Amino acid sequence: MTSATLATSALSVRNATKIFGAQVALDNVSIEVAAGEVRALVGQNGCGKSTLIKILAGFHEPEPGIEVLVGGSELALGDPIASEAAGLRFVHQDLGLVGNLDTVDNMALGQGYITNATKTISWRKERSKAREALAALGYEINVNMPVAALQMSERTAVAIARAMSERGTPPKMLILDEPTANLPGPEAQRLYQLVRRVADSGVAVLFVSHHFDEVFEMAESVTVLRDGKLIDTRPVAGLSEDELIELVVGRKLEEHDKGQADNREHGEQVLQLSGVGGRNVSGMDLTIHKGEVVGVAGITGSGREEVAALVFGGHERSGEILVDGKALPQNRPDISIARGVALVPAERHANASLLDQTLRENITLVDPGRHVSLGILRRNPEKSDVRVWLDRLSVKPSGQTEYKMNQLSGGNQQKVILARWLRQEPSVLVLDEPTQGVDVGAKADIHTLVDEAAAQGAAVLVCSTDHEELVRVCDRVVIMRRGRAAEILRGEQITVDNITAATIGRDSAEPAA
Amino acid sequence: MSEIKEVAAPRRRINFGFDKYSGIYVWALLVLIFALWIPDLFLQTSTLKQVLTFQAISAIVALGLLLPVAAGAFDLTIAGTLTVSVCFTAWALTNGHGVVVAAGGSILIGIVIGLVNSLVVVKLKVDSFIGTLGMSSVLIAIAYMITDSSQIVLSTSGYAPFFEFARTEMFGLPRSVYYAALIALFFWWILEYTPGGRYLYAVGGNPVASRLAGVRVGRVTMIAFISSGVTSAFAGIVYLSTIGTATPDSGSGYLLPAFSAVFLGATQIRPGRVNVPGTLVAIFLLATGVTGLQLAGAPSYVTQLFNGAALIIAVALASRTARRQG
Repeated sequence: MTSATLATSALSVRNATKIFGAQVALDNVSIEVAAGEVRALVGQNGCGKSTLIKILAGFHEPEPGIEVLVGGSELALGDPIASEAAGLRFVHQDLGLVGNLDTVDNMALGQGYITNATKTISWRKERSKAREALAALGYEINVNMPVAALQMSERTAVAIARAMSERGTPPKMLILDEPTANLPGPEAQRLYQLVRRVADSGVAVLFVSHHFDEVFEMAESVTVLRDGKLIDTRPVAGLSEDELIELVVGRKLEEHDKGQADNREHGEQVLQLSGVGGRNVSGMDLTIHKGEVVGVAGITGSGREEVAALVFGGHERSGEILVDGKALPQNRPDISIARGVALVPAERHANASLLDQTLRENITLVDPGRHVSLGILRRNPEKSDVRVWLDRLSVKPSGQTEYKMNQLSGGNQQKVILARWLRQEPSVLVLDEPTQGVDVGAKADIHTLVDEAAAQGAAVLVCSTDHEELVRVCDRVVIMRRGRAAEILRGEQITVDNITAATIGRDSAEPAA
Repeated sequence: MSEIKEVAAPRRRINFGFDKYSGIYVWALLVLIFALWIPDLFLQTSTLKQVLTFQAISAIVALGLLLPVAAGAFDLTIAGTLTVSVCFTAWALTNGHGVVVAAGGSILIGIVIGLVNSLVVVKLKVDSFIGTLGMSSVLIAIAYMITDSSQIVLSTSGYAPFFEFARTEMFGLPRSVYYAALIALFFWWILEYTPGGRYLYAVGGNPVASRLAGVRVGRVTMIAFISSGVTSAFAGIVYLSTIGTATPDSGSGYLLPAFSAVFLGATQIRPGRVNVPGTLVAIFLLATGVTGLQLAGAPSYVTQLFNGAALIIAVALASRTARRQG
């Protein structure tokens, strides 16, 4: 590389390494992005892409030996102020906007306002400054509205406009994290154009992505990381999706990859979804049979996060859900439960646990009346009942019905929540991230419990970002993309790599069979 | 993830914190102090009787407050409901209506107030503190309307049967004390031994989780507010039967003591949650302290001092206990 080329690069990183204890998060990664270039940074979870971004943002201090040049000048590392002063501007996935403030105020966050001679804010100048900034990106919005009321793509535009504003030094490079993750199709298109505009103005763009749509539509080139190492940087033109998947995953995927072939007996249809939709999901059809375990996979923004709640029926939805042939009303968790549907929600602390109440009270929450006789809830039979369940699920320490929920480890807490629902002998068991924050031992126990529930005739739905978990327990895996059930993997097709590839692949033209 | 905490205490530490029976110890200590300080005034059966009678109405109001607080809501209308009930009952009695209409009407008013509170908090989603604060102001205005901004006095001769309701003594104590005991027993049964009690605590602990577990959160909250309204209305009837005068000011002194008792009670007997026995211990404790000081000649504002300080100390100790356990 000639020095002339180096001088025109927006960003030049050489030998970035970062070690956390025993783990090498980044191993000697070098990348270079030219001014006005749009580069995608791609790789599986844990490949090192967010570590690299955090080093550039000054959040992490990298190992010595690294050299970073921004627009030809050396960057002081480990200092967020230096990163910003050098011209690196970041927009994170949550955008960093304050919802109840308007665009003008949000754009002034961290920068200050234009004031006039008497030190009062010049609102007129501020407003036109905001409007101009957004117009330069191709957006025209009401700058006086709270940003929470704007559309998602408009909010992203505001965040980018703020990042792009002059502050001492002009921006040299815009770094985006999953920019279209939460955007529906048409809004994503607007964003592609916005990024094009930014690049045309001479500012380089680096974006981290899981979505191949973004990569192929926005980027000129793509850098692939795997296990902390740089695999390659390629131009997007001429690159096929299969080649990109191969770079990300590390090997050629065969047509029928070896995987688990569970031979479970499947009974009659228990759960049927027709045209079900919610906030991020639309037109979902799904059927689950007795004894079957169906998985749901998908990246953030694909709608996977909503499927469990939709199937349970506890929220507003469109479309129809039939349990044993009878329609389930929406927004009535108590009726869903009465019809035999159980939901073990994600994020148990927020959604399932009564943390400072006893295990007994947590387990009997759904049916506390079971041990009432002559109008009095009998504690002793209740304790025996609960003890049986604590035993069955191997909750440790054993037999402690009066322990408070917050005295248990995460894995044991999750087992208690599971006990709450298995005690109801549900015909449909819906699990959302069942082993989130759970240790290895408890994880295996929970998977065995899922097997047992299915063996006893329950229809089980498992929504999870843990692809190994899906491989372990599922007979079928539904892949969610952009709010729709895009694909179904069956039998031998269910492998970790296949699931990963399917969740980040492009939208297929045909809906799932 | 946190590991399992060792429950069996391996080290003996002097526990200066509030343990679950400390209220009883403190009460015993207070009795000791007053017995030594002013023995002839304090150690009389009439003192005990005074304490109990004085506290019966307060206890009823505090017990009614337990259900909304268990369900995670504040009910600041308890004093206002008591006042409206007192004024309405007095007005009805002095305007030719029988006891049944007067008392029945007050209970009905209590139900309506509870319904309005639930409408505001559940349907309109107004924060319960703000909603009931506003409502309590409305109730005071209603009390002024009923009494025409003055007071209504029930003559002892004219309304003797009505006064018997609370004042008649059984085994040396007025009936109002027994009413309080019965209500305590009733709510204790509800909170400890019925599914309803479980639902109340669940809604107070984690409404999202409760809803997903099939608990009808709105309905539970509504029932809590209605029972608080009815209980406060009943307290009003007992008040009028005990004291005999109705003014728009009748209930104002009952709000803070009820909250003090409920929150101080949450640190006792069944620490970590509001509960009936704990509330009773707290009421007794506060009443003994106040009565002792008044007998010793302290000015009447010592009540407010005691109750206010107790509320602050109780909540501070409760969060300290919660942090130690969690």
